[in-house]
Amino acid sequence: MAALRPVVGAVRLGGRAVEGATLATVDAVLGSRAATEIADRVVDSALVRHALSRALAGPLVEELSREVVRHRVLERTTDTVLSGDALDAIVERALEEGVVERAAARVLDGPELERVLISALESPAMERLVARTIDSRLVDDAVAQLLESEELWVVVEEIAQSPAVSDAITQQSMGFADQVADGVRASSRNADAWLERAARRALRRRPAELSPETGEP
Amino acid sequence: MSLAEGRPHASARARDRAQAVATRVHVDPAAQAAGPSYQGLVTRTIAFALDCAVINLVAIAVGLAVGLASSVLDLPSGVEKGLVAIGGLAWFFWSGGYFVVCWATTGQTPGDRLFHIRVCDARDFNPLPVRRAVLRIVFLTLAAIPLFAGFLPILFDDRRRGIHDMVARSVVVGTDPA
Repeated sequence: MAALRPVVGAVRLGGRAVEGATLATVDAVLGSRAATEIADRVVDSALVRHALSRALAGPLVEELSREVVRHRVLERTTDTVLSGDALDAIVERALEEGVVERAAARVLDGPELERVLISALESPAMERLVARTIDSRLVDDAVAQLLESEELWVVVEEIAQSPAVSDAITQQSMGFADQVADGVRASSRNADAWLERAARRALRRRPAELSPETGEP
Repeated sequence: MSLAEGRPHASARARDRAQAVATRVHVDPAAQAAGPSYQGLVTRTIAFALDCAVINLVAIAVGLAVGLASSVLDLPSGVEKGLVAIGGLAWFFWSGGYFVVCWATTGQTPGDRLFHIRVCDARDFNPLPVRRAVLRIVFLTLAAIPLFAGFLPILFDDRRRGIHDMVARSVVVGTDPA
């Protein structure tokens, strides 16, 4: 056996040399333009499409899905995407392309949002939420702050002084009797002034000094 | 817990501010600056005539009711005379009390209210005290006796006061903003 050792060593050495030469040959073949051309032609061929179609129609997809799940491929891919700059780039690109605006317009124009809102508003949960909000101290505080704000009273004053409100109140409160009384009052005050002027003229007394605002003494 | 219970100070403040706003809205500063608007003889006479109509309508209604009742009851003539005397006295107090109560409380009789005028103290424009309201109605009656001559000073006085106004230290002013 000892005499065979050199022979065994020579065979192993030769095998390694053959293996190295084979790999070098394969590398050279794969790196060649011909190999690239062959690969392109194979991929573009109808055979590949046919094989792919058969594979997708068969149980391969389910098997592949199980393998994807088993090896946590999706989680690893998501982690890779989230940890890198790819996500930022995707978001940036989406914003530049106006995806957000289009999505918002679609949501606002579509019936989905209305359905969701109606469903939410009619739900018992929303009624409970509104009831709790009204009962809460938050509303009391908001009302108190509103009453303390100067702006509210400015608004109240503006509304109260507005001609529309004044006219409405006047129209509402003035009945027929008031209108007649208004006319009689105006006439009687004119008669007052006339009678006094006549009396003062008759007695040659100076006229009374009239108030510029009221036209009366 | 209600707002008023939880925040009494805020509620009081809000009420004060609401009153301040209402005062600013409803009280005309120009009218305040212009001073009182003294009312003349014609306006006061019409308002007084309306009050007399009210007094007499009530008196007539009461007199009719009493007369109808007495006619059914067939009272002796002495009692009827007594009822007439009581009726006259009641009319006297009713007509006097009508003016005194109105002047001493709001300063306005229903006729005054219709004409937007008010009887008040000549100095502070508050309603007259009862004593001066009584004095005013007494001298108003006296002023009418000499052919209404007691009312003539209303035509010449700067504050349009009659004899009864001078005695009771009262004036008649308008309640309308200028």
